[in-house]
Amino acid sequence: MAEQRVIQRKVCLLGAFAVGKTSLIRKYIEGCFDDKYLSTIGVKISRKSVHLEGGALSLILWDLAGSEEYNGVQTSYLQGATGGIIVCDLTRAETLDEWRRYTLRLRQVNPQARIILVANKADLVASRVLSDGDLRAAAAACASDGAIPPYLLTSAKTGENVEAAFLCLAQQLL
Amino acid sequence: MPQNPTDPSSTEADLLSIRAILLAQERERLQGFEWELKALQGKLQSADEAQGERVQQLLSEIRALQLRIRDDEERLRALQVEVELLRRRAQADSEGLVESLTPVFSGLMRQQIRDSRDEMAEALGPVMGEAIRVQIRDSRKDMVEALYPIIGETVQQAISEFARELQQNIDARMRVTFRPRGILRTLWARVRGISPEELLLRDALPFSIREVFLIQHDSGLLLAHAHPGNSGAVDSDLISSMLTAIRDFAHDAFGHGAGEKELDEVQYGDQRIIIQSGSAAYLAVVLTGVEPDGFREQLREFVSELHVRYSRALRAYDGDSIDLPDLQSGVARLVIAPQEPESVAPGRLTRAQRWFLMGTVVTLILGGMLACFYLRFTIALLPVAFPPHTPTLTLPPTATPTSIPSPTPTSLPTSTPTFTPTPNPTPTRLPSTTPTPTRTPAPSATPTVIWTPTASPTPVSAWAVGNVWVHSEPDYASPGFAVLREGTAVRVLSTIDGWKQIEWCETSSQLYGKQTGWVWGQWIADNE
Repeated sequence: MAEQRVIQRKVCLLGAFAVGKTSLIRKYIEGCFDDKYLSTIGVKISRKSVHLEGGALSLILWDLAGSEEYNGVQTSYLQGATGGIIVCDLTRAETLDEWRRYTLRLRQVNPQARIILVANKADLVASRVLSDGDLRAAAAACASDGAIPPYLLTSAKTGENVEAAFLCLAQQLL
Repeated sequence: MPQNPTDPSSTEADLLSIRAILLAQERERLQGFEWELKALQGKLQSADEAQGERVQQLLSEIRALQLRIRDDEERLRALQVEVELLRRRAQADSEGLVESLTPVFSGLMRQQIRDSRDEMAEALGPVMGEAIRVQIRDSRKDMVEALYPIIGETVQQAISEFARELQQNIDARMRVTFRPRGILRTLWARVRGISPEELLLRDALPFSIREVFLIQHDSGLLLAHAHPGNSGAVDSDLISSMLTAIRDFAHDAFGHGAGEKELDEVQYGDQRIIIQSGSAAYLAVVLTGVEPDGFREQLREFVSELHVRYSRALRAYDGDSIDLPDLQSGVARLVIAPQEPESVAPGRLTRAQRWFLMGTVVTLILGGMLACFYLRFTIALLPVAFPPHTPTLTLPPTATPTSIPSPTPTSLPTSTPTFTPTPNPTPTRLPSTTPTPTRTPAPSATPTVIWTPTASPTPVSAWAVGNVWVHSEPDYASPGFAVLREGTAVRVLSTIDGWKQIEWCETSSQLYGKQTGWVWGQWIADNE
């Protein structure tokens, strides 16, 4: 009997604290959202199987704590990651700078890593402070070898573009 | 008639008329005001009257209230007195109060539990833990006594289960021990100072591998996973990633990024995760119990061999199993290999074991018989090979002249030789050994004792068969005052309860001469 082919990919979720990384994973894997904010301590690992046209993929999602105090240990967590989702918060302008910072950091450890940029909390229209132009410019700043990583506006609360973001990365990783 | 303008009366009249004309309107207004004033005064008067009535009414109400307050105060005072009385009574008879209230409360509680069990559990739940903690703190002994039947039974059950398991393991081990390898191992352990019992107990202690993970070093991706039976992890991919995160965390937090130090063991309850690290991948073995000797060495060899054979593949692995060599079978073998001794279920011996056992028993019996025969033969020939000496005793002169000088010198030098006879004759060994001419296997050598100084020499009737203490009384508790040497000729004076009173001639300098004492009968052999 031929052994079944299994493809695993390590994906890291990065971004400033409270941008909604854990909520995005939770929405994607469990399909639920909670308004309560619980800060991630260290790392939280989840797994999601994705079935694509090219085959099945098992995404091992490493949800890394966004707090600065954990940054010292994050580098080792980034080792072996083939993909990264870098998240910012549309209602906090300062989180947009993290796109570039985390992109550079991930590429330092894994130069071949595929990256998706995500601007979360799209449902909070009234408090949005980042314009499309800001996002475009920030994404352009994350470009590597002339290739600008794709970015999506998501909402972990409504589920808008959440699955699309993960699928977009999964297709790149297959 | 024309009026005279200079006439003052007419002028005044004119002025009056003019004033009347000019002030007529004002007068009317004044009159209007006066009427209004009067009307208002009337109204005010009526209002005052109404107000007065109202005030009167309120005053009467206040008076009524004051009366009621006074009544209430009196009633309150009476109640306070009653409460005080009750309080004093309760203080005086608190036990009685508790007794009277307990059935009421317990009845209420019972009813509440029956009616709304969940609510009661929810209400009492949070305080239960605290209540138990407080109770343990305040009256630990009572709690121990209360919990002992439960805990004792649980512990007893656990111990008996463990003992049963241990017994089964020992049975299984006993069979393994009879294999040549087992015998060699036992001998080797014996050489190292470990008794067979200790070795058996050590081997019988339960040890089992629950799972083995082979994990890529950096990414934490699972390379291979094996477990015996159905004891596998819920999600091995997650476990391998999380284990890697823990390793990385420990390394970053405590290793300070230097040296080869790495997390090599994690313990959770009775389970342990032993980690054997390689440069590209590491092995994590989840086990219970104490691993056997050389287990870690075995893991090290396995990881080392993996790296020698598949180093490039292990490093290049990016999550696609198609690029991975067959690691699964190797990891699976690792799970089964150390399990072998435990997997031997208690049952019948194999044919080879039975033959080996029978052969051993027959050899032992034959060997024993041969040894007995040899021993008997040797003992029988012993007197022939080594003829016993016959001790001959010769007594020295019986009296020793002792000159005792007089303490006070007298004018006449009279020397008075005093002969003090020595109470014990000094035996002198005569150089005459008399070998027994008969060649009997039994120790029938007859020692000959010559008591030279005594007129009637002691007839030799027995001899000592070994070096033995001579006691002053026929009791081991009594002090031994001399050692009777093997072969010494003795005379048995009497026998009491297996003890023999003997008389012999002692030659040692400390105890010289004829002695009497008690010796346990088996140390004395009669000449007959």
